[in-house]
Amino acid sequence: MNRLREKVLCKIYKSEHNSVTLRFRLLIFLLMLVLTMAAGIIAILIFTGVFSAGITESKDRVQSALRHSQEEISSQYGQLSLSVVEFSEVLSQSLEDKLTGRKLTIESLSDEPEQLEEIIAESYDTTFYSLQKSKCSGAFFILNATVNPALKNASNSKAGLYIKNMEPNIISSSTPTITILTGFPQIGRDNSLNLHAQWSLEFDISEAEYYNQPMEAAMKHSDLSLSKLYYWSNPCILPGTSEEVMLCSVPLIDSHHNIYGVCGFEISAMLFKLSYMPTDKSYNRMSCMLSPLSGKGLLLHRSMFAGGYSAKNISEDYSLLKFRKKSNSFTTYYTDSDNIFLGFHEEVQLYPKDSPFYVEDWATAILVPKEDIVDSILNLNIVIACLLSLLVTGGIIISIFFSKKYLKPISAGFEIIKSAETEEAPKTNIQEMDDLIHYLSEYKREQLKKAEQERYQLTMLEDFVEKTKTLTPAEYSVFSLYIKGRSVQEIAGQLFISVNTVKTHNKHIFSKLGVASKEELILYNNMLQEIGLKLK
Amino acid sequence: MKDTMDEMIEEFNGTVGLEKGVIINVTSISGSSTLHDKLTMAANGDPGAPQLPDITTAYPKTAVALVEKGLLVNLEEQFSKKELSKYIPRFIDEGRYAGGSLYVFPTAKSTEVLFINSSIFDQFSEDAGVTYDDLSTFEGIRNAAALYYEWTDQKTPDIPNDGKTFYVPDSLFNLSLIGCEQLGSRLLKDKVIDYDNPDVRKVWESYYLPAVQGYTAIFDGYASDLAKTGDIVCSTGSTAGVLFFSPTVTYADNTTEEARLTILPYPIYEGGKKIALQRGAGMCVIKSDTKREKLAALFLKWFTRPENNLRFVSSTGYLPVTEEAFGDIMLQEIDTVSDDNIKKLLTVARQMQTEYEFYISPLFDGVDVLQSNYEETLRSFAQSSKDSYQSLLQEESPQMALSDSTGGKYNEFRKVAIK
Repeated sequence: MNRLREKVLCKIYKSEHNSVTLRFRLLIFLLMLVLTMAAGIIAILIFTGVFSAGITESKDRVQSALRHSQEEISSQYGQLSLSVVEFSEVLSQSLEDKLTGRKLTIESLSDEPEQLEEIIAESYDTTFYSLQKSKCSGAFFILNATVNPALKNASNSKAGLYIKNMEPNIISSSTPTITILTGFPQIGRDNSLNLHAQWSLEFDISEAEYYNQPMEAAMKHSDLSLSKLYYWSNPCILPGTSEEVMLCSVPLIDSHHNIYGVCGFEISAMLFKLSYMPTDKSYNRMSCMLSPLSGKGLLLHRSMFAGGYSAKNISEDYSLLKFRKKSNSFTTYYTDSDNIFLGFHEEVQLYPKDSPFYVEDWATAILVPKEDIVDSILNLNIVIACLLSLLVTGGIIISIFFSKKYLKPISAGFEIIKSAETEEAPKTNIQEMDDLIHYLSEYKREQLKKAEQERYQLTMLEDFVEKTKTLTPAEYSVFSLYIKGRSVQEIAGQLFISVNTVKTHNKHIFSKLGVASKEELILYNNMLQEIGLKLK
Repeated sequence: MKDTMDEMIEEFNGTVGLEKGVIINVTSISGSSTLHDKLTMAANGDPGAPQLPDITTAYPKTAVALVEKGLLVNLEEQFSKKELSKYIPRFIDEGRYAGGSLYVFPTAKSTEVLFINSSIFDQFSEDAGVTYDDLSTFEGIRNAAALYYEWTDQKTPDIPNDGKTFYVPDSLFNLSLIGCEQLGSRLLKDKVIDYDNPDVRKVWESYYLPAVQGYTAIFDGYASDLAKTGDIVCSTGSTAGVLFFSPTVTYADNTTEEARLTILPYPIYEGGKKIALQRGAGMCVIKSDTKREKLAALFLKWFTRPENNLRFVSSTGYLPVTEEAFGDIMLQEIDTVSDDNIKKLLTVARQMQTEYEFYISPLFDGVDVLQSNYEETLRSFAQSSKDSYQSLLQEESPQMALSDSTGGKYNEFRKVAIK
């Protein structure tokens, strides 16, 4: 029995030192499963384009912002172009009536400064009404006349009226904050309006595209209607002022095609900024830009911007923002100093096809600093990678836990097997393990039974050997020959004794050894030989 | 101010904002009256009202309305005591509600000063013997105004009584409020004007009588508008009005003349104390979430850093809000200020900071109506009496005409104004 136990223990010892444990095998198996699943998920994510979804989403957002801004700008600039034509028609008619009533011409007005002031003052209501009706930050008209033609720079000084709404973002305000930027101060005093901080009595038209361009166009293209003659100026700072503005102006022409001057509306940089601020919250630094388009890029110094952080910040002399288009990806915008934005732009039509200014190309652009887009995509992918890592780590932890938990009853089973108490051992609740324990228990019982029998036989033989020691020398001689299988006659002949003497010895031998026959005696002898015991 | 604010916000967005992940977007620009209406509408959740921003400029009366609705952040939670100690205490105290929590952070504070068109005044001064020192009291201004009227009247001998006005106060109510304080009295008693107070009458007459005589302008608008057209020589008004003074005077025939600006401390009534009005607005942070509130406070801290504060001050005419900006930094930086008028203004503001006491307008329901009613009535009375005076001058001596056109008007005025 002890030998058997030693054999089993020896086998376990060998298996621990030369083979992989069951728990380790299970762990490896589970880990392989987890990693395979993770690899599968990654493959699915790549296949379904989740890793590139950030780029697609960013593109969609920027394109959507562009669509929105493009529509807004096209619509509102278009509306303003229509309104300025209407303003011109109404004002031209009104001026014609006033001049006719006073028997004056536009040329003679400069000699009648009081009449000039009166006519301009009377045109305030029309101007104010037009300003109120339109989504703009200012309205103006300039007459080809001056209050003092004797002054040195009189040819560049033109009388008129320019009123500005200081809070243009407040739609339909009941008390608009209107100031007079240019015009007779009395108009302000009569209408409770303050003068603008940079007020001037007359317009300086020396470098005023917004005056000269439509005037020239009206003279050159007398056949064109007003709706073809309006002109959008480049964003500029008017002389003596500090804010950048974009002006839409159109000639004032009477029924006899006399050109009185121009009238127009203003979109200030601030109104543009407040009106076209991109509403998409995903990129803080997304900006909108309306810019003249040249073959090489967008002309920054002639652009209007909207957004908390715009491309105008990128360089001191911000002149040209070059672009490089890519199919299925963002357009890259950059300057010589390497400031890079990503975004899109689209041409915006400011003029009808037969306008003399149709050749000018303008574009609406939505730009985001490149690093913002890269960061957002990276952040999204980092989130996905973190989730995957979390999944794999969770899988590993679960694998370790389950491999330990799963093998715990098996280990307990082995402990039971190792111990001698297999019969009284509790159930492991694993059928195979309980069957094994039961089998080993049965096997052990049989082994014990067999050992018991062997021990009994051994005792019997030892007793037999002891009994042989009680035989007399004569009897032992007969016994020795008997166990060698000799017959009575052969023993009698070999020992030179009579058959009767042999029989008498036999009788004593059988009696002393406790056997009943010669066959039994031989059986004892054979058994002794089997276990290697020898009679003395 | 709009341009400077815009530039500074863009700079913040491109530097600190970029680093901390915050962008300031200007969502609306409004004047003081519209601002109050819009914020009140937004606070009430009125239909069509704009959404409240994270930061808003607010005048005290607006801030009170927002505090009462529990919409403002107590800025003491965002600023340490050490940080707050760097700001001028009277500016911080003005932003406290009922003397407790700090809701309005000082950003655009101002006081009142005397603006003089030196190009005109110097010519007049030479002829009339009036000096800048004479303009340090309201009585001196009145005397100078009388002499100026004569001086200008004499330029057109063929047209009698066409002298020009010399002075105008930007706010008649503020003039009366501070005048009474200087004389040791109070304009208001139990939230109404104390017409029985002789100092109230004295201050009232100090405007009314010269206005009737044509020495002082009767004008419902900014004094700088009259200055632009040469219709006045000097005016009292907010420091923030400095940018509205044009470097030239433009006359009706489009001829122009240089207009050098001299700025002097706010005048006082003879025998009175040196007291001037403290006015202006601040910024409030609207309650949102902890992160946004903290970032909003970050902007306020950046915006009022001495170097940024002085930059804002240098291009707006508002006063510095930190002791440091008012002190050594201002002395060091004053020469770098490109605008001469701002430079002069800062020098005067520094002088007033040490010599003057500052008075904060009382704040109560109805004070706006009281103010506008007082001013409109006073202008109306002055104009009506002036018309009468001008007409009586055809028949009577100036003294008699003045007496006849203004007699009993104070009592008449108080009856009308009280209604």
